[in-house]
Amino acid sequence: MEKKSTPTAHSKGALVYRHNRVTRLTHWLSALALMILFMSGLQIFNAHPRLYWGSTSEPEKAFFVIGAAQDDGDARGFVELYGRQVDTTGFLGVQPGLFGPMARAFPSWLTVPGYYSLAAARRWHFFFGWLLTLSGALYVIYNLAAGHLRKFFFAPRDLRKIPAMIAYYLHLRKTSPQEGEYNPLQKMAYTSVFVLLAPLVLLSGMAMSPQLDVAFHWLPAAFGGRQSARAIHFILAFGFLFFVLGHVFMVLTQGFFNNMRSMTTGWYRETVPTPARSIEARREEPAPEPAASAPAQETDKDADLES
Amino acid sequence: MPTWNPKLSRRQLLLGAGASLMLSGCEKFFDSISQNKQVQSLLESAEGASRRAQRLLTRRGKLAQEFSPADISPTFRPNGNPPPITMDYNADAQSHWTKWRLEVTGLVEQPARFSLDEIKAMPARTQITRHDCVEGWSVIGKWKGVRLEEIMDRVKPNAGAKYIIFRCMDTDSDGNAYYESIDLVDAVHPQTILAYELNDRALPVDNGAPLRLRVETQLGYKHAKYIRALEFVADLKSIGQGQGGYWEDQGYEWYAGI
Repeated sequence: MEKKSTPTAHSKGALVYRHNRVTRLTHWLSALALMILFMSGLQIFNAHPRLYWGSTSEPEKAFFVIGAAQDDGDARGFVELYGRQVDTTGFLGVQPGLFGPMARAFPSWLTVPGYYSLAAARRWHFFFGWLLTLSGALYVIYNLAAGHLRKFFFAPRDLRKIPAMIAYYLHLRKTSPQEGEYNPLQKMAYTSVFVLLAPLVLLSGMAMSPQLDVAFHWLPAAFGGRQSARAIHFILAFGFLFFVLGHVFMVLTQGFFNNMRSMTTGWYRETVPTPARSIEARREEPAPEPAASAPAQETDKDADLES
Repeated sequence: MPTWNPKLSRRQLLLGAGASLMLSGCEKFFDSISQNKQVQSLLESAEGASRRAQRLLTRRGKLAQEFSPADISPTFRPNGNPPPITMDYNADAQSHWTKWRLEVTGLVEQPARFSLDEIKAMPARTQITRHDCVEGWSVIGKWKGVRLEEIMDRVKPNAGAKYIIFRCMDTDSDGNAYYESIDLVDAVHPQTILAYELNDRALPVDNGAPLRLRVETQLGYKHAKYIRALEFVADLKSIGQGQGGYWEDQGYEWYAGI
C-alpha cells in the first residue's frame, strides 16, 4: 500500500552527492586503522591478560582475567569477572594449537600479528594509532569548516524523535521521523562516537604512556590511575567493536550497494521514504510561482512539526 | 547458547580449528607482512613521531608523579632475565659488594671507577614512583640512589657523547648479556637515578643488586638492573645488534616513553 502511494520515493530516488572526498578517504583509513588497532590491542592485552582498578596491579586484585588452568591434566581456558569464572576452552584462555591445546588469552586468529609478539603488536598499534588520530583530525577539521558535521550532530530536539525512529525500524510505524540526511538514531550513534568514544579511547591510551604521565599528571588521575586507564581503554575498544558491528549491520540491511557507492564515489540514491502526504502534495501541485511557493512550503513545515 | 564442556571436546576443537582456518588467510597475511622489512620500517616511523611529539609536550625537568608511602606496593614484582648466577656475583653479594666497581668509560674526559660506598657517599635522591612494565602491569616502589647527572659531573662527557650504555651482569639462557641505553635528555632528568635502595632496604638481588637504573619517563625494560659499567657513546650502531638494548635488538622500541 505504501509502495503504491510513494512510487518515486522507493524505486528511483534522486542521486545526491552525499560524502565529500575527505570524508570518503578518512572513512576507509579509519576503518582499516580501527580493525588493526583492535586486533593488535588484543595481542598487547595477551601479554598481561588481567585488568585492575587504580594505579597499580596487585595480583590478587584483578577484576577481570582471561586465563588457563590445569584440570586433571587437561588445559582449561576461562574468563573471570569479579571472581565468577566461565569456561571458554577452545576460544579464550586455551586455543587448539598444532601440538594440542595451547594457553593464550585471545586466540591467534583475532590478533595482529597472529604469532605471539608484543613488540610487533606495539609497532602496529602505535602506527595505526597515529593514523587514526590524524585521519580523525583531518575529517573533523575539514567537515567543521564545510559545515557538514552539523548535518548529523545530535541536538536535544532529536531526543524526542528517538522512540518514533525505533518504532519505525521495528515496523511499528510507517513513516520515518527523519528530517534531513541523517535520522535521530544515526545522529546519536555518530555524535557519541565523535564526542565520547574517540576522545576517551585516545586519552585513556595516552594515560598509559610514562612520558605523557610526566607531562600531564592529571591524565592517569582523570581515569582513576594508570591501571584504571588500561581497563577503560580495553572496555572502550569493545565499545568501538559494537559500534562497527551495528554500523556494518545497518549498511548491509539498508541498501548495501547504494551505501557502498556513496562511500566510494560519493553519490547516494535517496531511498528514505518521505511521508506519503507531502509526496502527494508535491506531485499534485503545479510548478509553483516563486512568489506563491513561499507560504505553501511554510504550512508544509508546520504540518511536519506537529506530526 | 553454546554450553562449554570443561574439557576440550573434539567438537570444540573442530569448531575452533574451523574458525581458525577461515580466518587463517587474514592471519597469515598479517604474519607475513609483520615480518616484511619495508612494512617494519614503515611501522617503525611512528616511534620517532611519538618521541618527538611526547617530548615536545613535556616541559624539560618536569617530575614524574611521586606517591605517598601508603601507595607502595606490597611486593615489587621483578621481571626479565633471572639474576646473575656467576661465582663472582654470588661471592660479591655475600661480601656486600666490596669487590664490585662501577666502571665509567667512553667519550668522557675523566674515566672513573666507583665503589658502592663511594656512590652512597654522593648526594642521594629518594623518590616513590610508579614502575610500568611493557606487558601492562604497574607497581609503586620507593627508590634511593644517586642522580646520574652527579656521575656525569665527575666524569665530564665530551661534546660528542650522545648516549649512555648500561652494561649489565645478567644474561639470558643463551648467554647474551643485558644492556640498555638512554640519551642525555633522559640522563639529566632530575629523577633519573642509579638506585641502591628499594623500600628503605639494600636493593634486593631480584630487583637488580647492587645498582640499577631508574628512568621514570620510560617503561620498565629501560631500567637496566645489575649494572657493572656505563659507557658514553656517539651512536648505538656498533653495540650489540645496533638497536640500543637487549629488548630493542628483539624488536622493541628504543624510545619506551609510550
